[in-house]
Amino acid sequence: MKSSRTFLGLAALAALAALPLSLWAAEPIRLGVAGPFTGSGAMYGVMIRNAATLALEEANAAGGIGGRPIEAEYGDDEGKNDKAVTVAKKFATDQRICMVIGHFNSTCSLAGKPIYRDAEVVQFSPGSTNIHVCEGSDYTFRNLYRDDYQGAFMADYIKKTLGLERVAVFFDNDDYGKGLKDAFVARAQAIGLQVVTVQDYVREKTSDFAPLLDLARNAQAQAIFISGLYAEAGTIVKQAREKGIRTQFLGGDGVFGPGFTEIGGEAANGTLITTPFLFGPSSSEAAKSFAKRFKERFGREPDTWAALTYDAVTMALDGIRAVGTDRNDLRDWMAGHTSREKGFKGITGVTYFDHNGDCLKPVMVAVVEGGRFVPAPKQME
Amino acid sequence: MDFFLNQLLNALLLGGIYALIAVGYTLVYGIVKLVNFAHGEVYMIGAFLGVVAISSLGLPFWAGLALAVLGCGLLGLLIEYLAYRPMRQAPRLAALITAVGVSLFLQNLAMLVWGSEPRAFPALAPSGEEHFFQRAILGGRDGAGAVFIPGKFVFIWSITLALMLLLDWTVQRTTIGKAMRACSLDKGAAALMGIDVNRVISFTFVLGAAMAAVAGVSYGLYIGSQIGFRMGVYPGVIAFSAAVLGGIGNLRGAFLGGVIMGLVEVGARAYLCPWLEISGGYSVAFAFAILIGVILVRPTGILGSSAVDRS
Repeated sequence: MKSSRTFLGLAALAALAALPLSLWAAEPIRLGVAGPFTGSGAMYGVMIRNAATLALEEANAAGGIGGRPIEAEYGDDEGKNDKAVTVAKKFATDQRICMVIGHFNSTCSLAGKPIYRDAEVVQFSPGSTNIHVCEGSDYTFRNLYRDDYQGAFMADYIKKTLGLERVAVFFDNDDYGKGLKDAFVARAQAIGLQVVTVQDYVREKTSDFAPLLDLARNAQAQAIFISGLYAEAGTIVKQAREKGIRTQFLGGDGVFGPGFTEIGGEAANGTLITTPFLFGPSSSEAAKSFAKRFKERFGREPDTWAALTYDAVTMALDGIRAVGTDRNDLRDWMAGHTSREKGFKGITGVTYFDHNGDCLKPVMVAVVEGGRFVPAPKQME
Repeated sequence: MDFFLNQLLNALLLGGIYALIAVGYTLVYGIVKLVNFAHGEVYMIGAFLGVVAISSLGLPFWAGLALAVLGCGLLGLLIEYLAYRPMRQAPRLAALITAVGVSLFLQNLAMLVWGSEPRAFPALAPSGEEHFFQRAILGGRDGAGAVFIPGKFVFIWSITLALMLLLDWTVQRTTIGKAMRACSLDKGAAALMGIDVNRVISFTFVLGAAMAAVAGVSYGLYIGSQIGFRMGVYPGVIAFSAAVLGGIGNLRGAFLGGVIMGLVEVGARAYLCPWLEISGGYSVAFAFAILIGVILVRPTGILGSSAVDRS
């Protein structure tokens, strides 16, 4: 009995091993997928890897492309720029890799940029928002907004969608906070939204926001835009509530995270933030179907980054179907998506690019409700 | 006017907390002539003990505060006994470096025990303390034109003032206070008069650490979050400056210095920086500018004795 079971097991193994060979006699098509698969950003990495895995499994189940299977080569950059250089060099020199999905962190995308450019291979980021990521390289693309775009968007949203006139700005005095604040203020001035006070703070040093909040109250701000990260934003809304200030609070994607609602508690409810994409009741059928398949396959809900990665990989596969696996043909195909009409329709919306390779996709607004981020009822067209 | 009053309340609250920390520096310096750089970390551990007692042990606020005071008092005792007592005859620079070492040790200990992510101050029982602390004692709810004083403001001021008066009374009127003053003047002579110098020094450390614990828990209650292992560094520097501003070694000076630092910091943020059209982040720089100005004119600080330091 025992031996026959062993034999059966071995036979099954042999059959399994033989199966891919018989099905996929052709050489596989290879994509590079780079992200923080270990390190402090590993929770993003899991989402990226799972989304890419799902996209490729679905494509292969449908017969691959031109009879060839598609495989991913995963490069772990740990969210660090020096590791990103190593990954980029490996991908760039491996001529079988026709396109790279990644990197996630802006600092990694920036570090890999010259290497990909020199090797003439496309890098397509589903996560980097720093304004300089796509500058100076014809081979760099992303499928989400830039920090300055979300800043300008927020100004428009406050003025046009919420119909408010007076806004105060609190910003974290670092690269992210300053960049986002500058974009917000510039746009606000252009459209006639009054910025009544701009106050900076220093992360881990400023913890008493009462003087800032009283300045905003005294300037009769109808909204307060927080250009910073979730920990300080949570503290600000909490202190505001205790001082009886019930102004509308808004933030960029730095505020987007469970830490904000944990710190802010009740006071976090009603805060509006920008995000590239968010699953919710109003998501498209395609997005809902993706969320269901993802959950079935991996046993957990996909997040924003999983959706963006899935879109990036499926767009790359479309490109390979259209023009083959030549690196430069793929670049030209990507760069051809210059308008909404010509754009790639994915689950996170339509992806198309400007001359830089920056994505012109609309921003989504999320609101905190009962301690959770959900799509805001008022979106901007 | 309401803007002025609101900002004045903010300034006095911040100043009161600086003052509570500053007295710890000044008490210790007055007696052993040591700048206790670990004092900011005692404050941090006080805040953590309060948070843990309330959130993990489910204790009410008052019990959490009491536990933090006891815990920090014990910590102050241990720090003095283990780290500073062996260094008492050593050169002052060696003792100072020991203090920096204790500070780093406590920060890393807190990181190991409580993690590196800052915590939020736990929600209190909604019907009892939370109700008291959140309720507006005075003022409307919305918009400009209202002076707003939540219960926790009143609580923090009352406890700060009460502790300051108690401390002043202890030092000026009690036997142990007289012993402290004697040790401050001349430890050798004090010992000859039959004063147990070691006991007095231990008592001083316990007293300073207990005040820091009250400051830590109060600040946690006030701020509502950012209870992290590095939270003591910055208030520690400001409170030390406040003690120097008021005249280090002088209890009332430390209180005055703390309040002035709070007033200047908030005043600069509210009035001076907008008027000069510079970033509000410079408000702390004004507080330090005042410190430098005062020290240039009066090197011993506002209330410091003019006696020449004999050491």
